[in-house]
Amino acid sequence: MTAARNAIELKEVSLSFGSNQILTGIDMRVEPGEFICVIGASGSGKTTLLRMIAGLLTPTSGAVLLHGKPVRSPSRRVAVVFQDYGRALLPWRRAYANVSLPLEAGGMPASQRPARIRELLAKVGLGNHEDKFPGQLSGGMQQRLQIARALAQEPDTLLMDEPFGALDAMTRQTLQDEVLRLVSERKTTVFFVTHDIEEALYLGDRVVALDSNPGRVAYDIKVPLPRPRDQLTTREHPEFLRLRREMFEIMNKIHA
Amino acid sequence: MIRSRTLDIVLGVAGILILLGLWHLVTSYELISRVFLPGPAATFRSLERGIVEGALLPQTWATIERMLQGWLLASVVAIAIGSLIGVSSTARAYLQPTLEFLRPLPASAIIPVAIAVVGLSWKMVLFVVVFGSVWPTLLATVHGFAHVEPRLVEVSRLLQMSRLAFIFKIGLPNAVPDILAGMRLSLTVALILAVVGELLTGELGLGTAVLHASRQYRADDLYAGIILLGVIGLVSNYGLALADKRILAWKG
Repeated sequence: MTAARNAIELKEVSLSFGSNQILTGIDMRVEPGEFICVIGASGSGKTTLLRMIAGLLTPTSGAVLLHGKPVRSPSRRVAVVFQDYGRALLPWRRAYANVSLPLEAGGMPASQRPARIRELLAKVGLGNHEDKFPGQLSGGMQQRLQIARALAQEPDTLLMDEPFGALDAMTRQTLQDEVLRLVSERKTTVFFVTHDIEEALYLGDRVVALDSNPGRVAYDIKVPLPRPRDQLTTREHPEFLRLRREMFEIMNKIHA
Repeated sequence: MIRSRTLDIVLGVAGILILLGLWHLVTSYELISRVFLPGPAATFRSLERGIVEGALLPQTWATIERMLQGWLLASVVAIAIGSLIGVSSTARAYLQPTLEFLRPLPASAIIPVAIAVVGLSWKMVLFVVVFGSVWPTLLATVHGFAHVEPRLVEVSRLLQMSRLAFIFKIGLPNAVPDILAGMRLSLTVALILAVVGELLTGELGLGTAVLHASRQYRADDLYAGIILLGVIGLVSNYGLALADKRILAWKG
């Protein structure tokens, strides 16, 4: 028996635009079902890394593999949640029809869609808002809608690009817990980009820190905090506090 | 200061009443001979007679029909070609120079060509109406496709949507506000060219009615026809504005 294939594998991945080196020699392995958080300052190439895993960008050298297969173009098995929900949603489609989009693209028969869409909307707490246009929803609700749309793809891998960066602190915490609940139900592999150390520690099984100019892996630590996580007890856990201090010191050294 | 809608309507009606008042003054002091400019009262009597006795109705319908046919056909052609140019750089490379050559040609310059090709008939009028009114909607469609949010293009790539699916699910809905604005401009052009076509071909319509009235010194009938043409333009524009509001409800 061979060992289970990595959900995501990056081998010596580098990317440059002209003479501008963005990422260099990135090696990373993510197991199926693992929740990995990538932190780094702006300009460290963390979003670029996510876009390469999504198949939106091709590395200049090295390889990006999903379940052992090289990524050449986007796949519906991989879903992306962007930070700018206001641009990523279709403003002319109601909440219901926005969730319908991946089902249409995936060729699900129209008769099977309504039940699936309502189930997803209920799951993210938008059951009573299916007839609203994105412009009529709050920021937090729009981001919930984008998450429901991503889940509609039934992805093996969920890529999230600073999804809560534009939300207020209360909404951010609620959505963190919702994402943890939703992905643990399906054992989805998550690649979560953030610049918030506490968020990374709270959510992740592992945290990878990127150094900038050019972006490269500076540090890769396991987060042995018990699950399910809790906004109060987890954040007060001695191990959480110790890791938080360690991460802060690392990030300070990187950006010194 | 924010003006209420009611006040806007009152002001709009007042504007029309002032124009009618001036018209009345000019004619009652005979600043212009009544042979050429009858008073509002005489004009509206003629208009009433034409509508009640029914003489003006077939002409009005014929003009509206001609305008709408040409406009709808032009809109379909414009949206189809515009979408094609919008999603395919190959189609754009093929079509753009030709379109840029045709676009500045005045529709009136096309009329002799149209007469030569399809004859002095309703087909010629339709052709000219379509040719003249296709441009605003075509340019609007191309513009709408060119300004799709890049994030949505990525979403379509991530979902592996076909080009056709992209057109119908993202490109066209995104272009709808532009397309509607283009179609409003097109409708005005369509009305103008429908009347010009009637003047040339003598086909039944308000344009022909106005021309005959003028040749026979029936000034009141002439102005009755012109008022009806104005009303067609006004009503169709308000109708489209109303449709805009309903279709663009998502803009809030």
